[in-house]
Amino acid sequence: MSAQYNDVQLDALRELANIGAGTASTALSEMLGRSIDLAVPDVSVLPMAEAVELLGPPEQEITGIMLGVEGELPGTVLMLLSPENAEKICVMLGLPPDSDLAPSALGEIGNVVGTSYLNALAGMTGLEVEPTPPATVTDMLGAIVESVLAVRAMSSDRTLLLDSSLIVEGEDCSIVFLLVPDHGGAEELLERIGVS
Amino acid sequence: MARMGELCASGTPGDSLVALGLGSCIGLVLLDRRKGVAGLAHIVLPASDGHNKELNPLKFADKAVPELIRQVTARGGRKPMFEAILVGGASMFASAGSTLEVGVRNAAAVREVLAKERIRIHAEDTGGSKGRTVRVDPITGIVTVRKAGSKDEQLFPAVPKTSSHSRVLQEVA
Repeated sequence: MSAQYNDVQLDALRELANIGAGTASTALSEMLGRSIDLAVPDVSVLPMAEAVELLGPPEQEITGIMLGVEGELPGTVLMLLSPENAEKICVMLGLPPDSDLAPSALGEIGNVVGTSYLNALAGMTGLEVEPTPPATVTDMLGAIVESVLAVRAMSSDRTLLLDSSLIVEGEDCSIVFLLVPDHGGAEELLERIGVS
Repeated sequence: MARMGELCASGTPGDSLVALGLGSCIGLVLLDRRKGVAGLAHIVLPASDGHNKELNPLKFADKAVPELIRQVTARGGRKPMFEAILVGGASMFASAGSTLEVGVRNAAAVREVLAKERIRIHAEDTGGSKGRTVRVDPITGIVTVRKAGSKDEQLFPAVPKTSSHSRVLQEVA
């Protein structure tokens, strides 16, 4: 069974992503003490094989911060940023660039930003969500994304990506923020906002 | 190119089979070097049992391996001559339980299907926490692996190492 959504549903999901990312950007802005710009979120339903390519060259080195989501909206939150931008964020937090604490500082950023996004969704839909602790890794983009997708390949060949960009103003530094609902997760969201 | 759940095979000079950025997935290479043909499958999950029948069967080890054998055989490969090479099956997020399981289980499932098909594994670079890219030249049968931040390294056929440092590594492996 492959997930299919009509235009109204995709618009509704895009709006949810927009509100979630708006709340997330406020949290990030408070942590970094910088203004954060938001790009218009993208919502796509596509074959998993193409999802990796949509995000960038599979061999590109990237830092990923992953949060599992449990409860009534099971899925994964994945934040992707270039290693250079990860370094910039650490510097903004007052850490030396090659600090041993960098992965846990990034994990904490991911935790706060991801949790704000999820709380915004939870607030709008009345769904109970529970994020799991963050994991941070720097590796090939393809390897990170396919490992997140592989877990949900058991129920579908396609995946839904809610994709937002958070841009730190004046720093040429951006974070791609992805919500990848498990199969059924998006249906639950749509049902709660009345466009199922 | 083999993306998630895809496979490819070739015996054409100049071709290169590749699976980019393998994480928990397995890149399985089958070679018949005398004939100069090779196949590469990008396997996502261990077994199709109990899963929806409408799903792409080639992402599962138990369905992808027989199809890969069929495609390499169709290009002139002879099954008794097949050499298998396994790459991938990493645990990218060591602290997150579920993805860890998938990589290890994928490698185990592929080994099991190959044993059933009586195909020997001649080289393997699996597990760990690093993503990998695998490339195969069907004519020469040379298989190279690249990890994030490093260069292509030849995995098969085994390269005689010159420095004493790498000789030690080879003995351990």
